[in-house]
Parts: sequence; structure tokens; C-alpha cells
Amino acid sequence: MRVRKTAVIAAASSLALLTGCGAADMTKQASPFAGAQGSKTVTLSVQSWVGAQSNVAVAQYLLEHELGYRVDTVQVDEVPAWDALSQGRVDALLEDWGHPEQEQRYVKDKKTIAPGGELGVTGHIGWFVPTYLAKKHPDITNWKNLNKYADLFRTPESGNKGQLMDGSPSYVTNDKALVKNLKLDYQVVFAGSEAAQITQMRQFAKEKKPFLTYWYSPQWLFKKVPMTEVKLPPYKEGCDADPEKVACAYPHTPLQKYLNADFAKKGGKAAAFLKKFKWTTEDQNEVSLMIADKKMTPQDAAKKWVDSHKSTWKKWLS
Amino acid sequence: MATITASPPRVGLPAFLKHRAVHKLLLLAVAAAILVPLANARWASGSWPSALTLDFSQPLAKASDWIIDNRDSHPLFLYFFGHVSNIVVIAVRAVYLTLLAVGWAGVTAIGALVAWRVAGVKLALGTAVAFLACGLLGMWVPTMQTLALMVVAVIASVAVGAVLGLAAGLSDRMDRVLRPVLDTMQVLPAFAYLLPVVLVFGIGVPAAVLATVIYAAPPMARLTSLGLRGADQGVLEAVESLGSTARQRLLTARIPLARKELLLGLNQTIMMALSMAVIAAVIGAGGLGDRVYQALASVDVGAALAAGIPIVLLAVVLDRVTGAAGEKLGAEPEPHSGRGWLYALAGVVVVAVAGRLAGRLDWPDAWIVNIAEPVNRAVDWMTAHLYSGVPVIGGTADWAGHFTTWVLDPMRDGLQALPWWGLLLIVAALAWVIGTWRTALTAVLAMAAIGVLGVWKPSLDTLSQVLAAVAVTLVVGFAVGIAAARSDRLERALRPVLDVFQTMPQFVYLIPVVALFGVGRAPAVAAAIVYALPAVVRITTQGLRQVDPAALEAAGSLGATSWQQLRQVQLPLARPALLLAVNQGLVLVLAVVVIGGLVGGGALGYDVVFGLAQGDLATGLVAGGAIVCLGLMLDRVTQPTERRAKKGA
Amino acid sequence: MDTAPVFSVENLWKVFGPKADRVPADPELTALDPAELRSRTGCTAAVRDVSFDVRKGEVFVVMGLSGSGKSTLVRCLTRLIEPTAGTIAIDGEDVRAMDRSRLRELRRHRAAMVFQHFGLLPHRSVLDNVAYGLEIQGMGKAERRERAAEVVAKVGLEGMEHRRPGQLSGGQQQRVGLARALAADPEVLLFDEPFSALDPLIRRDMQEEVIRLHHEEGRTMVFITHDLQEALKLGDRIALMRDGRVVQLGTPEEIVGAPADDYVREFVRDVPREQVLTVRTAMRRPSADQDGSGPAVRPDATVSEAIEAVARAGAPARVVDKGRCVGVVDSDTLLGVVAGTEQLAPPGTRQPKEAV
Repeated sequence: MRVRKTAVIAAASSLALLTGCGAADMTKQASPFAGAQGSKTVTLSVQSWVGAQSNVAVAQYLLEHELGYRVDTVQVDEVPAWDALSQGRVDALLEDWGHPEQEQRYVKDKKTIAPGGELGVTGHIGWFVPTYLAKKHPDITNWKNLNKYADLFRTPESGNKGQLMDGSPSYVTNDKALVKNLKLDYQVVFAGSEAAQITQMRQFAKEKKPFLTYWYSPQWLFKKVPMTEVKLPPYKEGCDADPEKVACAYPHTPLQKYLNADFAKKGGKAAAFLKKFKWTTEDQNEVSLMIADKKMTPQDAAKKWVDSHKSTWKKWLS
Repeated sequence: MATITASPPRVGLPAFLKHRAVHKLLLLAVAAAILVPLANARWASGSWPSALTLDFSQPLAKASDWIIDNRDSHPLFLYFFGHVSNIVVIAVRAVYLTLLAVGWAGVTAIGALVAWRVAGVKLALGTAVAFLACGLLGMWVPTMQTLALMVVAVIASVAVGAVLGLAAGLSDRMDRVLRPVLDTMQVLPAFAYLLPVVLVFGIGVPAAVLATVIYAAPPMARLTSLGLRGADQGVLEAVESLGSTARQRLLTARIPLARKELLLGLNQTIMMALSMAVIAAVIGAGGLGDRVYQALASVDVGAALAAGIPIVLLAVVLDRVTGAAGEKLGAEPEPHSGRGWLYALAGVVVVAVAGRLAGRLDWPDAWIVNIAEPVNRAVDWMTAHLYSGVPVIGGTADWAGHFTTWVLDPMRDGLQALPWWGLLLIVAALAWVIGTWRTALTAVLAMAAIGVLGVWKPSLDTLSQVLAAVAVTLVVGFAVGIAAARSDRLERALRPVLDVFQTMPQFVYLIPVVALFGVGRAPAVAAAIVYALPAVVRITTQGLRQVDPAALEAAGSLGATSWQQLRQVQLPLARPALLLAVNQGLVLVLAVVVIGGLVGGGALGYDVVFGLAQGDLATGLVAGGAIVCLGLMLDRVTQPTERRAKKGA
Repeated sequence: MDTAPVFSVENLWKVFGPKADRVPADPELTALDPAELRSRTGCTAAVRDVSFDVRKGEVFVVMGLSGSGKSTLVRCLTRLIEPTAGTIAIDGEDVRAMDRSRLRELRRHRAAMVFQHFGLLPHRSVLDNVAYGLEIQGMGKAERRERAAEVVAKVGLEGMEHRRPGQLSGGQQQRVGLARALAADPEVLLFDEPFSALDPLIRRDMQEEVIRLHHEEGRTMVFITHDLQEALKLGDRIALMRDGRVVQLGTPEEIVGAPADDYVREFVRDVPREQVLTVRTAMRRPSADQDGSGPAVRPDATVSEAIEAVARAGAPARVVDKGRCVGVVDSDTLLGVVAGTEQLAPPGTRQPKEAV
């Protein structure tokens, strides 16, 4: 009995010792893999699309080779990345496509995330058909004619309707509502991941089959599979306010960077660098294409870009 | 004739079962005749009546918001979860830093020498090769991250599992409480555990470790309890007769007697922790899983494979080493085993110090072999040639199309067209015929819960995919299993293949599957088949091989041909194993429903992925809950009652 | 007869089942036969109203077929199974009144048991299995290993100290079980069908071993068996059980020579009587003229020994006890014993408490 009691006390006290005997705010805990070998570390979040990988690869390369940081990357989708950013598990999110709800919560209310400025790239979401198809049927690029061509886009998955392929669940999409509100004879099929969507698009393109897909720019795949956008009813400010009643195109979004608030203040050179990081759609696509199509590692691709674009990145370091 | 002489007890069973089954079905029919008109009058709709659904999305969204807002201020988080999370971070970090400090040479040496001491020279070589391969593939650091996470998760799982197992093993009341819970946890897909943990801990390593512990601790608990309960009563009595105290009995007899089960528990815990550590990449676990997941984004099968191979190697090595340790139990200890360990230790120290002095702690970049490119070329070639236009049989895309149109669509539409009470009746009848009224009740309640959650339609969609996948898996699995049971050479050849498919992270084969079958439900089914097939083949082969040789001999002596022997003796006698294969097939197929969501399977799998990606816990949790309910229902419907006790093995 | 009993058992009951307590207390229930008791109460009485003494230094055999309650009975002695009613005393101390620590003392130092299925710890070496009882008592490692090594040698297992039980034959394993029981140097050894799992030849070896040990040490033994040969061979006295009751208690000679009822008679029918019965029971009073002639036999010689002597001499043999002729056996009386026609004096065995 006495032994047991001693054991309990010992366990309790060692636990208390270990944890510093007080409150432990888990939102202030860094990743256990961060800063493993004693150097200053920056943790960047990577989203699942290649454009985001390109941002991170170049930022990582410069942080490591020009500023002497060690960089860890964590693959997280956008919304969870906001949460992780707020908790300080990642220091920066380099490409955000607009999440007003999260912005309100973390930037304005809790002030745990600080805006990091524009990335310099403008993002745009839309519906696309391959250019070879647009050439064959020039009127297909207007949504009003889509019903006419629904037969072309039939797949086993969409049954007797045309297939509109959507991608990763992490992407912003109004497509289901759009199909309904524009009274289109189409079925939205979710590929479930960008990888699956790209693979499928390339298979279709290889055989010059028709397809209609949700897609976005900047995106490296345009270089491999040229695509033409289908015009939807034009976007007006606020026309997408009610997700159930949307009947207009997607906006053009200047992509934003966000930093953890503490990191923005105390992150030194790294934070300053990430705030200044700004490039063009062409720059990003160049790197993305090297990664995704030439299958170079992100590091190699970043090195190649950095070696040939000194003037661009020198500005970020000053 | 042969069957009757070979296995008289079998003849009695089906007749008896049939008799009982008829009774049960009649009773059920009577109950249905009364209840169905009532239900139909009130809620006349084919699909689940909306009056009977509860909307969980509001409260769940609120809970999620509350947690996010209070995570850095509420005492529950500051004084409990915060510490838990903190300890995990400290522990993982400590292990990770140690591994890095020891260096690649040191880690390889430690691995090999431990394997040598517990499992012999051959496995030691295998372990060393496995570690070096991780380095060669350029995956050293991610491997160490995964290893660090695993070490902490396995230690925690074993501790938690052992404590629960001790409680269940020593107290009947605890056993009654814990057993159904553990049994159920065993059949749940790993993804189901991710969301609740993320809800509390957010994305990151602590959540990943805790999800892993929740997933990996149950087998340890089950097997600990099983081992303690299965201890030789004669030995325990003898120990008691010598005047031992209860504590002495536990420490010197019960626990050592259960060591086989304990080791098996450790083995299963390690395997499950490894598979979860990979899946947990979705919630920010880092390591190898993260590399696989990142490779997916650039549609790079080769890179995904480069990260997948170390996982397979780790899994195979850990499985073999713990397995060999289990087999070595009870043998006479080698003389001077203490000295052996000493040499081993000295060797490790020398290698580690040498590595340190040489400044070679990180794996040298020059030694990395890039396999991604050739692999990608091979995959491209394969998909280019198989996708379409193969003469006569058509390409894989055509198959996928036909499968979708002729199998998946009718099944889905058929299930969705059934009135909801009809489906409940079918579930009840199946579960009752094969089990007891309790299993039937659980199955029906699980099915009804799906309706109450408000995801009746997508669940039936998922169910149709699961059933189709299981059907194909069983046909192929039984055929291959029977062939392997009849040919030693085939079995030996299959073993590494099965190992690879069982342990390869499913993310790796998503892209080839899409490239072959296009986006949609067909590739989801294909991925599920690839994942579930190895287990079905294994169980079938084992079941057939374990058939009493005397029965076979008797049949042979009566002049039965080998086909007759198979059909009339082996298959009937292996029936329990075949049923287990069906059950496991279902459980495993369901476990990759979420993966199916990533390739266009839609339905519940997509909803879970959506919930994780969008931080929309309401959608994710409800869909996860529905998958859990489907799992419960399918498990009960295919689980003959006798099997319960055997499931741990 | 002059020594106090080691174990003294009185009116012992062990009833399994719901509300087992009421059975021994209720005369109406105790009168029922097993089947009726079961259907009336759902209880099974494994031991029914059993009384006996075990004397110091004797080998007391409890014999019966399987299900007769003998194994339950022996477990009740050290309360491995808790008795339902009755009293058990060891050296006059009430076993049922013992608290837990006292009971452990009893099991550790006074009564050790050998089991049918050995009950060895498979993960320990032979030496550590033998030392296990000492370890439990808290003895230091070196000391207990030394003691264990002595006992291992005593049971003939030298050189196997470091084997695991799984590497031993059944007979060797039971030697380990025996050594483990001996290691604690208990007052009484309890054997629960120790040899019934062994091959016949090995079983005979082991029986010899027990006899040898008993001769060397004179330790009191309670021996459970279903094998009549074994009982007759080892037992100083035998209690024959049926359906939980002791149907006869007596020396082997009494059991064979004067079965208490038809059940016992049927039981001992095939026993070679001449090897069990002694001259003492077969002899007649000496007539005066036979004094001094014929071969002399001891009163505890078996009938078969007497037959040999009589046949060799061709004349009746004298039974000589301490130099005095106490009786005579001739070929007729001996033949009568073998044939079973000779009526023997019924010994008062229905009252087991009475010493013979």
C-alpha cells in the first residue's frame, strides 16, 4: 500500500515537473521537428497545389541559402492552415485564395494572424474546356450553349448528364449551385483531389476527348493542356454572397500572404523577407512547371529559378 | 460419401442452423408485418424520412467554434489538453533529436544489432538493408520523423493498452464494459479517429500521435486481456498453492504466461501505428506520410513511391523482428546472452562515434538514388498502353465504364430505391440469421443511426461501392487463396507481394489507379480491392492449410480427386476462416472509403475529406460517424457469434 | 495411533452452485442423491459429509473415479477451493478460520502440492521453477538457488537445471513439480493425480520415487489417484470415494479383503488378492502340534510370499511375530484367499474415525 502511494506521488510530481507545474497553452507549441539542429527555423505551410509548392520552394531556398535559416514545411489545406497559423504551428501561409470568415476570426478578432501582403499573383477560378474542343465548337465557350453539348461530356460517372469535373474538396467552389441555378443539364463529379483531377485531364487530353472542368489559374497544367475558359454570367461584387443562389462567375482574387502574428513581430529577417516576397504569375508558373511536369524536386526547381532571376529576389532581401 | 466419413459434425450444423434460421425469420416477419404498416403510414417515403433525422451540423459547428475560441484560454485546455499536447511534443522531439544525434550509421547499427539479438542474423541484415534503403531513397530525415512519432505513439499505445488490458483481464466487470468497445474500435477505419482529435488539438504532431494511440492501443488491450484470461489455470493454481500473494501471482505468473499474446499485441500495435502515422499526414504528422502526400500534389508517382518504400520496409522489418521474438520465446536462452548484448552495445557505440567523428550524421546527398524518374516513366508507359484501345478486351477505362454502368449504378440505385424500413429489415434478417438477436439489434441500430444523422443517401452510395468492392475482392481473393494453399511455391512467391500491398500507403497508388480507371467510383473500388485483397488471400490460404490433415487423408483414401477434396472437405472445413475473410474484407474495404473519396468515389469518403480540408467538422464528423455505423453494421452482419474469441489473432 | 493427526477433516462439504450454503445445513437436501439435488437446487455436491484423519508419516490415498470429488477434496485441505461446511484442522489448527496471511503461511511452509498437469512456469528454467516457492517466501536469490539445486539433485534431475519445462519429458516435468513441492520442506505433500498423465513405465518409476522419498524422509503424504493399483501400492490407508462420499476407508488389505459394499467389491474384483492381503488376515490360530516346524513368515508378509514359502517347504508356514508364533497358514487357507472364498473378519471400516 505504501509503495503504491509513493509511486503515485512520484508519478504526479514528475509529471508536474515535466510540464512546469502550470498552464500549458498548446497554441504556443511548435512542431517537434522544428529547429532540430539548433539553427533558426521557419515553418512554412504548403497547400496541396503545385503553385503553392513553388512559392514555398523558392522562399525555402532563399531562406536557407541566403539568410541561413532552416526551413520545415508542413502540408496542410488552407482552412486548417489558418488554424495552424493562429496556433503558431506554422509561421507563414504564402498563398491564400480568400477566406473572409477566417480572416475575421483570426486577423480581426483574435489578432493571432497578421496579413503578410500580396503574393503578386492574381488567382482566378473558372470552367474550362480543352482548346482543341473550343476550336472545334467555338460557341462552346459560352455557358448558354453548354446544354447543347451536354452529350459530349457524358461519362459513366455522370450518367445521362454531362460531366462537370470538380477537384479537391479544399477548393472554393460554387459549382453545384451554379449548375442548378443556371439550369444546366450537368452533373458535378468531384475528383476528390487535385492529383486525381489532373491525371484524368491529362488522360482525356491524350486522347483528345472532350471534357469540362473546374480549374484555376495560375496553374502549370495550362502549359501542358491548353484550355479555354467558358464564360459564365459576369461577376459583380456581392453576387456570390449567398452560396445557394450564386449564378455568376468567380472573381479575380489577388492572392494574399499571412503570417503568424508573433512571427511577424519577432521573426526578424525571415519575417521581413516573407512580407516582401512578391512575384508574378509567370514566375510562379515557371517553377511549377519544373516541379510538376519535369518532375524536378522543388529544391532543384527553386535553385534553377533563383539562379536566373537574381534581380527579382534581390529586392526581397533588402 | 467422403464428406460424411471425414466430418460428421459438419453435417449436423447447417440443418440445425437452417432450422433456427427459419424460426428467426418467421419471428422477424411477424414483427415486420406489425411495424412496417405503422412506420409506412407515418413516414411514407422511400428514403429515410426527414422527420426522423437530427441536424448535428449546428451544434457541431458551434462546438468547433467554441474550441477554437477557447483553446488558448479555457482551463480545460490550459491545464489538461495543453499538458498532454506538451508532453507529446517534448517526447517526440526528444526521440527525434536522439535519432538525429546518433546519426544514420548509428541508427542503422542499433536497428541491426537489436534485430540480431532478438531475431537472428538474417533479419539483422534485412534491418540494416532497410535502413540503408531509406537513406538511399533520400528519405532519411522523414524516416526519422516518422520513426520518432512511431516510437512515442507505440510506447503510449502499449502503456494505455496494457493498463486497459490488465483491467479487463483481471476484472470481469471491466471486461464486460471494455470488450464491446474494443471489439468495435477494431473495425473502425483509421480516418474516423482523425476528426475528433483535430477538433481538440488542431492540426499537428500532437493530434497525429493521439489519433495513432487511439487507433493502435485497442489491439494491445484486447490481447493483454486475452492473454491474462487465457493463462493456464493449472499453473495459476499451482502458483497459488505455493502461497503466493495476488501481486506475486500477477507479476511472476499471469503476465509472463501471457507474454506470447503481449508480444503479438506489440506487433499489431506497431503495425497499426505505422499505418496510422502515414494516414495522419493529412493532419500534419510530417515524416514519410507527408512526403507521399506532397508528391501527390504534383502528380508524381515516383516521388510518392520513394517515400512509400521506406514505410513498407519499416513495416516488414518491424513485423518480422517482433514476430521472430515471439517465436523465440520458450526456447532455452543462449548461454552468455548478456555478453552478446554487451558486444552489440559496444558495436553500436563504435559505429555511432565513428559516424559522428566523420561528420556524417546526415545522410550524404551524393548517395541518394533517384528512383522517381524511371518509376514515372514505367507508370506512364503502363497507363498509356492499358488505358484504352487494347484490342479485343478493351482498355481499363472501358472496363471501369462498364463496371460503373452495369454494376455500381444498378446497385446504388437499387439500394436507394428500397424503402428505408425494407433495408432495416434486410439488415436485421441477415444479422439475426448469422448471429444472435443482440447482433441483429446492434446492426439495425447502426443502420438507423445513419438515417438519423441525415446521410442516408450518400451512405447507400458508399455501401454500394463497398459491396461491389468486397464481391470482387472475395472472388479474386478466394481464387488466389485456394491456388496458394495448393502450391507452396506460389505461396512463397506471393508473400512479399502481399506484404507490400498490405503496408504500402494507399496514397501511393491513387494516381496509377486514376490513370487506369479515370475519375469516379470505379477507381475508388479498385483502390479498395488492392488494399483488402492481401488479407483475404492470407486468411483463405491459412484457413485451407489448417484443415485437419486426417480429414483430407480420409477423403484421399476413399479415392476423392483433389478437386473433390477441395470442394467437399477443405472448403467446408475452412468455413470459419472463409467467413472471417468475408468479415475482414468488408472491414478493410470500408477502411479505404475515405481514400476512395480522393479519387472521385464521392459520398461519405468525399465528405470526410471535405471536412478535413475545409475544417468543416460538422460535415466531416457526420460522414465519419456514418462510416463508423456502416462498419458496425457490416461487421455484425458478417460476424458469426462463435468467432468472437478468436479475433485477436 | 499414538501421534496426533496432521490433517483432521470432519463433516466436510463442498457444494457448487447457487446458494450453496443451504445444502449441507438442510437435512432434507443432504438426503437427496446427486441427480435430485441438481434438479431441485441447481447445485452439485462435490464433497459430501467427508470425515477422516491423516496421521503423521503415513501415505493417505484418496481414490475414486473421475467426478467422485477427490480432487475437490484435496483442494479443500489448503482452501484452494473454499469448503462449504465442516471443519479442517492441521495440527489442531482450524484451517477454515485462518486469515489470508496465515493461510499463505500454511501453503508456503506446511502443505505443498503436486499437480496432475505439473503447473510449471514455462518461461523459467528448471532451477527457477523449483526455487519459485522459496522466491515467493522472499528468500534471496543465491540461497534459494542453492536449496533448489539440492532438491533438483534429490529428484534425479542433475544437469537439467537450465532447461525449460517445454524441453523436458512428462516424467521429468513431474519430477520438477515434485522438487518444487519439496523445496519448501513442507510438513505434508499433497498429490493430485500426479502420474495419471504419464506413460505406464514412467508412472512406475515415479511411484518408486515417491516410495523412496517416503522411506527416506517419512513425510506425510496425501495422494489422490483414480488408479487402484497405484493406491494399493502407495497407500498406508485408502479412502475410497464415490459421488462425493467416502464409501470405505481402510488399509489396502481391508479394502481388498473386506469390501464394505458391492461398489467397492466390484471395484477391487480384479485385484490379485494374494499380493495385497497379508498373512495376518489369512492365518488361523496355531495348533499346539505345529510349533517349531515349517517355514516362518512375518505377519505382514503378503499371501503370495506365504504361498511361495509354503510351496517350497511343502508344509504349512508359521506366522512369527517377535519370535512368537501367532498363527499358521497352510495351502488350503492360502488358496481360499486367492479364490476369494475365505471369509475374512470384517474390519470396522464404516466408521472411518476409528483407528484400525
